[in-house]
Amino acid sequence: MRGLIRGMQPVAGKPVRDLRADAFRGIALWFILIDHIPGNWLGRLTLRNVALCDATEAFVLLAGYAAGLAYGAALDRRGWAFASATLLRRIGTLYVAHVFLFVVFTAQVGYSAAALENTTYLDETHLDVFGEQPYLALLQALLLRFQPAFLDILPLYIVLLLLLVPALPLLRRPLLLMGLSGAAYVGVRLLEINLPNWTGGGWFFNPLSWQVLLFTGALLGYAPRRRGPAPAVPFHPLLIGAAVGVLLLGLGIVLLGDYGQQWLAALPQPLADLLTTIDKTGLHPFRLLSILALAYLVGHAVPRGARWLRSRPAAPFVLMGQHGLPVFCAGIFLSFLGRLALELDDRWAMQAAVNLAGLAALVLIGVVGAWYRMRERGEVPHAATNPEPVGLRAPAGSSTSAT
Amino acid sequence: MTLGAGRVLLLLGLLLACPPWARAGGMACDAPAELLVANAALPATARAASAGSLRILIVGSASVLGPGTSGPSAAWPARLETLIRARVPRLQLEVVTRGARGLTTAETGAIIAAELARTPFNLVLWQTGTAEAVRGLDLDEMVEQLNEGLARIVAAGADAVLMDQQFSRFVRANANVDAYRDAMLLAAAAHGVPVLRRWELMQAWADADTVDVERAGKQERVAATDKLNDCLAQAMHALIRDGVAEAQGRPGQR
Repeated sequence: MRGLIRGMQPVAGKPVRDLRADAFRGIALWFILIDHIPGNWLGRLTLRNVALCDATEAFVLLAGYAAGLAYGAALDRRGWAFASATLLRRIGTLYVAHVFLFVVFTAQVGYSAAALENTTYLDETHLDVFGEQPYLALLQALLLRFQPAFLDILPLYIVLLLLLVPALPLLRRPLLLMGLSGAAYVGVRLLEINLPNWTGGGWFFNPLSWQVLLFTGALLGYAPRRRGPAPAVPFHPLLIGAAVGVLLLGLGIVLLGDYGQQWLAALPQPLADLLTTIDKTGLHPFRLLSILALAYLVGHAVPRGARWLRSRPAAPFVLMGQHGLPVFCAGIFLSFLGRLALELDDRWAMQAAVNLAGLAALVLIGVVGAWYRMRERGEVPHAATNPEPVGLRAPAGSSTSAT
Repeated sequence: MTLGAGRVLLLLGLLLACPPWARAGGMACDAPAELLVANAALPATARAASAGSLRILIVGSASVLGPGTSGPSAAWPARLETLIRARVPRLQLEVVTRGARGLTTAETGAIIAAELARTPFNLVLWQTGTAEAVRGLDLDEMVEQLNEGLARIVAAGADAVLMDQQFSRFVRANANVDAYRDAMLLAAAAHGVPVLRRWELMQAWADADTVDVERAGKQERVAATDKLNDCLAQAMHALIRDGVAEAQGRPGQR
């Protein structure tokens, strides 16, 4: 399996690919699958149970990182027009993937609703919006204004990449980009602006505030092109201390919410109220800080050349991370099947089957993707080597396929 | 469980005829004990009960009206009233129930505000959160409404108990209930308000085959819904008694 990993062996003339981003993206994709199956026992062991951020934040940050790496390279080599075209093509793929997943989801709800005979006792019987107004729901789904539960990450991702198109040239002016993005984030949060949702309210993940995380990731991914492989945010004991503090505080808040209800009630009311309003929709500042602190600590704790990244147990996750888009879409698809399976039976045998089959399927998709890519490259060897641009350092693994 | 409808009804009738503490097995249809712990005091309820007169306001969406049961007297609010009367016959008890299918937290909150403005209550049982979860409405909006509503109830001198979503495998598979449920539990904890964790209770009863309305056959459906409502009423009764005991400094609890 390890033979399929890109960047496993250093290639002459190319800097070593940063496998850390791949490995952690792989893990984030696995967590997203787990967290998308409510009632799954493994869901009690994912990041969200110990930190005030979860796989969604990690996924967006790493998606930004990959985008900065890939489209930054395209920008430097071929210019903004070409890089934007590549990015738009990727957005088109994501859109089609989303529409496909929407169709699958609708079929799943339709199937479950048909199997469900008794709804009279339920508080809310508006369970199948699509069944009630199919044509309107379809239109709204195509406009991304109708996002059924668990189908909210791809629309977020699509809008984030759309925002990146005009922002690409600003990758070369990190302070300006961060300033604009940060100001927009603060403004959107203060004014409570969100994109509209057809069924009421706004998007579950507000892209206008989440953009700050994507742009941060993009700048981190682009940084090696400007400054070489040195860490984008250098090691500093004070920063490390602050990051540890943020994560410990986050752990405390999560544990308080899960197990410490009595202590929570003892807090002064304004502080207790504040803790209830740490929202995920608008990427609350504390959630943003948590993921940045986590990324900073992990970035310094795991060196680029860490041995375990190239080990056998890590290989499946690295492969999953390197083929993020198909793995992500398959993960959402598999989560539908997992939910149906747990709807039938949620005892331990089914729990084990769902989780083993789910992970195996994700790994298989990563493996097949890598194998196919290799064969494709093997048959057309010349297309694989792009001339290095003069005077610019190539980033690690400068391919144009980002997730 | 392949009991005929008649036998189930007979069994149910026997169960209903017995006071809850005289029944074999644990409290509240063998509910896990930790789900019957209030974790907070209900001082206004305790004061009212010792003074001999208690007014309870129950507001929620459809389930407070007992849809799918054999009749209004089988809905959990009505069953709760019966249980309290049976336990403390001398108590002057008044229970007001308001609700309709699909009400959001903002809407039930407004009903509570209107009722509290009209007449005082000692205890408000607020069932909410399902419409938001099923329709994917704004989570922050729900939390804001809960924070405001709970503060309003306390300011009116009443105790509050929240009731969270109904457990259903279908809803679990098709709506992001966990996010809404977690937010609700957090808001309740921040205000020191007990929650009747209906989701976990119903899941425990379904796992133990005590009552599983979703899997009940056509003939047993009404009986199962009746039983569910009765079990919920018992669980709510146990939770309230625990909160009252907590307010009185414990030893009163039985």
